[in-house]
Amino acid sequence: MPERANLSFPQGTELVFGPQASRRQYITDRLAEVMRGWGFSEIVLPGLDSDAAGDETELYHLTDREGRRLALRSDFTRVAAKALALELRRQPRQIGACYEGTVYRFAPSGHGTRVEHTQRGLEWVNARGAIFDAATLLIALECLAACGVQGAVIVIGHAGFVHAALGQGFDRRLLEAIDHKNPTRIAELCRRAGVPAPQAALLTELPLLTGGPEVFTRARALGLPQGAEAALSELEALHQLLAQCGASGLIYDLGEVRRFDYYSGFMFKAYHPQVGEELGGGGRYDRLFDRFGLSVPAVGLGFNIARLADATDENAYAANGQAIRAAGIEALKQAVAQRANGTQIRLEDA
Amino acid sequence: MLRMALPTGRVLKQAEPFLAAAGYTPLESLSATRKLTVPSKCGRVEYLLVKPVDAPLYIEQGVADCGVCGKDVLMESGADLLEPLDLGFARCRMVVAGKPEIERRGDNLLSPVRVASKFPHVAQHHFEKKGVPCTVFKLAGSVEIGAVLGLSHYIVDIVETGTTLKENGLVVHEEIAECSARLAVNRAAWYAKLGEVHELVEQLKQHCQSP
Repeated sequence: MPERANLSFPQGTELVFGPQASRRQYITDRLAEVMRGWGFSEIVLPGLDSDAAGDETELYHLTDREGRRLALRSDFTRVAAKALALELRRQPRQIGACYEGTVYRFAPSGHGTRVEHTQRGLEWVNARGAIFDAATLLIALECLAACGVQGAVIVIGHAGFVHAALGQGFDRRLLEAIDHKNPTRIAELCRRAGVPAPQAALLTELPLLTGGPEVFTRARALGLPQGAEAALSELEALHQLLAQCGASGLIYDLGEVRRFDYYSGFMFKAYHPQVGEELGGGGRYDRLFDRFGLSVPAVGLGFNIARLADATDENAYAANGQAIRAAGIEALKQAVAQRANGTQIRLEDA
Repeated sequence: MLRMALPTGRVLKQAEPFLAAAGYTPLESLSATRKLTVPSKCGRVEYLLVKPVDAPLYIEQGVADCGVCGKDVLMESGADLLEPLDLGFARCRMVVAGKPEIERRGDNLLSPVRVASKFPHVAQHHFEKKGVPCTVFKLAGSVEIGAVLGLSHYIVDIVETGTTLKENGLVVHEEIAECSARLAVNRAAWYAKLGEVHELVEQLKQHCQSP
């Protein structure tokens, strides 16, 4: 008896075959079409990075045979920014680049969380101002529609709003409590740190400042510090632009803080009632290029292909093609002729 | 309709009347039924009855949109959930307890602290944060015996009145957190089912007992 082969794969990795796999390809192609339609050029980026770029807690490290420490790509934007910095140093200009590939993010076992994520996204560099912000969100909406995703919501926040609400030198635990929308904990931390009453009231209210454009009014009623007012005005202007372009399904979340160190302006995420995790997201990160000695305003977005596939049934690639029995040269000739017509075929054992 | 995970056992006894008072009476008694899902009479919620430790995972994965979880269970699970409401019941404290006098070094001056707990992640995180090397033993129950019989120097456990500790000659050395039942919500459901979730939060908020 041969020894039974080990056919297992590491936890959290992706293994897809059948209709789900063809749906993913269908989705990827639709996203690529939308991005090409908006004038983006494809960029191919390395899957390995030499430095420890990214969130240390989710990086996969490896060492090559020459002793160099490498990391698996965990985030496209950082890699893309580095690649585009190279090109911008040569010739400063506006660039729209789109990419596709896998990122790896460590997740503790036992939660069923994926560690391997296939993404398609875009970066728009030297893209300044509200028109590019609005265009990024309109592209996101077009991407969702192109994949046949219905009932999704786009949740928009602003990094500047929470920064201003928190002020200087805040307790990081406060950020965590805001992230988990836990008003009890926010109030407790404010009390312990002696945060002035009006600021504490605003912070405690943050978890519930989620909703339609009416949240702008509700936020103002709380009395806003200067920076927060500026961020809010920016969101309002963005809302006006989007509404005029017929965008719907927009929700505003003034308490959004995830990765807000990374973003400098608006930020967004897309959700669907049938999918427990976000479909994608993006925003503005004008300071990302600072580390490369460049001052480059930039926006970007990315979608998680597997989660989009969970949010739609649409798949024009599901068809099996016309069966041709592989009997002799005639069958082969028929296959070639059908292919020349562009017909989808399936050569089967005679 | 929102699907709400409810933990069977201690928390359910208090959650059921609480939810009924807030207008979400289940179609049949949750403590008596053998069914795993029960809708509410109002049709706005479907209850999913699960083991307490499993509730965070069901919510995190989006199988349930929200749920009632003890803070102790949430802390141990490490699930990434929203926690918009402290429901105020099932109050207890997560503590470090042990014998009043602890001689932990013995003949090894660098001996790590030995800790027994049903909450190994919480225990490890707590001692690591203090910079104290520790060895954690995961126990399924009767954790007090660990400290009484010398398996561990300390235990990390929840206490309500402290009677069990006292009867076993143990004392509280440190409090880690105050716990109570919380409303936990899946991140996607918070936005994608915004109207329903906010209505639930508002309804439940009016019936919360303040600390």
